[in-house]
Amino acid sequence: MYGNLIDALPAVLSLGNILAVVVGVIAGICVGALPGLSATMAISVLIPFTFGMDPLVALGMMAGIYNGAMYGGSIPAVLLRIPGTPAAVATSFDGYPMAQQGRGGYALQVAVVSSALGGIASALVLMLLAPPLAKVTLLFGPTEIFWVAVFGMSAIVFLLGGDIIKGLISAAFGVFVSLIGVDTITGYERYTFGHLELLDGINIVVLLVGLYALPPAIGLLEEVRDFDTKNTGRLNTTSIWKAIPGMLKYWKTWLRSSVIGVFVGILPGAGGSMAAFLSYNEARRASKNPDDWGKGEPEGVAASETSNNADTAAALIPALTLGIPGTAVAAVMLGGLLIHGLQPGPMLFRDNPEIVFGFMWQFLFAAILLIFLGGALATNSFAQVLRLPRPLLGAIIIALVFIGVYSINNRMFDVYLMLGFGLIGYFMDKLKFPLPPVVLGLILGGFAEQNLRLALRIGGGDWSILASSPTAKVLIAMVLLVIVSPLVSRRLRARKASKVAG
Amino acid sequence: MGFKSLSVAAALIVSCITTTSALADYPEKKIDMIVGFAAGGGTDVMARNIAPYLEKYLGNGVSVVVKNMPGASGQIGITAVAEADPDGYTIGTYNLPGAMARTLDRNADYDADSFTYLANIVNDPNVIVTPKSSDIDTMDKLVEAAKARSGAVTVAMSSLGGDDHFFLQKLSSATDADYITVPFSGSAPARSALMGGHVTMGIINVSEVVNFRDELNVLGIASKERSSMAEDIPTFQEQGYDLVNGALRGFVAPAGLPEDVESKLLAAFQQTYDDPDFQTAMRKSGNPTELALGDDFEALNAEQLELAKQIWETQPWK
Repeated sequence: MYGNLIDALPAVLSLGNILAVVVGVIAGICVGALPGLSATMAISVLIPFTFGMDPLVALGMMAGIYNGAMYGGSIPAVLLRIPGTPAAVATSFDGYPMAQQGRGGYALQVAVVSSALGGIASALVLMLLAPPLAKVTLLFGPTEIFWVAVFGMSAIVFLLGGDIIKGLISAAFGVFVSLIGVDTITGYERYTFGHLELLDGINIVVLLVGLYALPPAIGLLEEVRDFDTKNTGRLNTTSIWKAIPGMLKYWKTWLRSSVIGVFVGILPGAGGSMAAFLSYNEARRASKNPDDWGKGEPEGVAASETSNNADTAAALIPALTLGIPGTAVAAVMLGGLLIHGLQPGPMLFRDNPEIVFGFMWQFLFAAILLIFLGGALATNSFAQVLRLPRPLLGAIIIALVFIGVYSINNRMFDVYLMLGFGLIGYFMDKLKFPLPPVVLGLILGGFAEQNLRLALRIGGGDWSILASSPTAKVLIAMVLLVIVSPLVSRRLRARKASKVAG
Repeated sequence: MGFKSLSVAAALIVSCITTTSALADYPEKKIDMIVGFAAGGGTDVMARNIAPYLEKYLGNGVSVVVKNMPGASGQIGITAVAEADPDGYTIGTYNLPGAMARTLDRNADYDADSFTYLANIVNDPNVIVTPKSSDIDTMDKLVEAAKARSGAVTVAMSSLGGDDHFFLQKLSSATDADYITVPFSGSAPARSALMGGHVTMGIINVSEVVNFRDELNVLGIASKERSSMAEDIPTFQEQGYDLVNGALRGFVAPAGLPEDVESKLLAAFQQTYDDPDFQTAMRKSGNPTELALGDDFEALNAEQLELAKQIWETQPWK
């Protein structure tokens, strides 16, 4: 197998194939940076055009787009607190405060280096460990996935923000949104009011854009005066190569977040946003100064950006070997492979090694290219956008999100829905309700509910199935650890404090 | 002769001229092909494979443009086809039994009479599979397990009211045993739970199993004859179970298509199907083909609707 890897390299290094990856990365960064456009959508749009292309050109572009978009989402998340993709929500927690402190340029540099490292780790894992990791995918049935979702929800405690009641209301709203649509288990329609467009549930991008992009865009329109120079004037200009040595202290976060990203990638149904939330929370828990998080801690940006890129190539592990796409993007990519007559499975590796292994190389190159393209070129040119007068910038963002949301399913219904969420988001913003719990509630609430019910169906209604497998037991222990350990450490700290005082 | 009747006569003449010229020259503008699923899915790949061949055989330099209208498991796209002008410039993909099942379990704005049936192209028979780790590797063992204890056999499904679900209902009556459906949202998690042994068995299509013979036990195929894609899989009929079922994918146009337009389209579909290059493309993308043209397709649809009704009345799936 490793011999095949080397054999596939020359074809990948041809000019056309390299160019495809470069174009893909650039396009991906742009798509990711524009709120409302996502990697899933960009690749679906690309697929029809790949019919006439050489397979490696088509796949190279897809690998580039996937990696580029996962980083690109962080650009508006840092500069404007508008996550360009769902996976960049966690990046905005610390990235935007950094930008407000005049460290936006450094935040973007941390983001691009972390994204590239996450992508490289993911590609290497895909190249070297695909068969054993595909077996790990299969350990996770509904029971185990339910526990992963519960584990993810433990992150909610931090995301609730200062006011716990308001945080819980936000989370409950997110879970409510996850209920909308056909209940996949009984087939009954929930809160659809007879609209076919609601049967499949609410697309996360529609909600995200409504809540996160519209209110700040309206905020920009409200600023009559000139733009402030805080973000724009001082956007870091030191070269990325000089900045990297200072980042090496994040190596633990890079490593941990890569592992989390790869793990979430091989789980079917989860995606980059779950990876980012999980790894942000884990990094914060491991940090010596957790109280600084959310106020401009670069390590938070590193955690979230590493893992959402570490999710990319890993999602293809079960997709290529077992026909089980780990994320929505991987599912679309399988379609792209099918068009070229490449069906997933062991035969693919036997019959078309030059393409499969070439595709893996392209993932690696796309990740490395991120540093060059994302660092110098895109970061600076996108930062220039901020020099626009604020009302103009707001108007442009609003126009772009309309186009983006319309093109998800080619229909106006989603645009109206987004406007509705925009209204909700605007008032949540004014009334200081935190937004992250909504996103987490939508992603994990639905995930937990469905998998719990599937698990109980498999177990014939017996709750003991939830602790039946070794994997499930390990996960339960992890959940307990996460919930109990802060209580214990607080108790210990209190005792220490009273000893000192006494 | 009053002004009114004169204008009516004029309108008639004009409309005659325009319709006859339209018929003579069809197709004279682009044809929209509506796909009720997102780009990259099985139905979309079929549509994009067939479009260039239709362009070739319809002639006149026509372009066939694929338009994705995803949502509500294809219902949004199929409704758009039913409501389009029957002029031959809108056709759409059509999935059975889903398209007809939706008229039963949901409020649908179309029914079996809303369409001109053009051609069914793909027939992907169901197969029963179990994880390789499972002891259940024959039909007899499966039926024995299902009869031994109610609720013992769990079945991974990718949705409710699809071809896999219909097949399960048939299996249940044919073997006189109960099976527990475990409906996942989509085929990826269903397939994962199946391969990981979290459920007893799965019902998928033969195209999804041909590349995974080492990972799954295949108990039988629900076609009348063995599949050319996997000659070694015995049919259920050979094993004494009268089970024939599958996922069908084809093309329809709105009802009331002008006759010459219809016959031109039917001819183009027949020529496309007979084109060896098209067959190769379909085989490479894992689509087992079986043509049912025009009236045959309509009869096939009626048969599927009848079956869906029977199941819906006796064992509603929601």
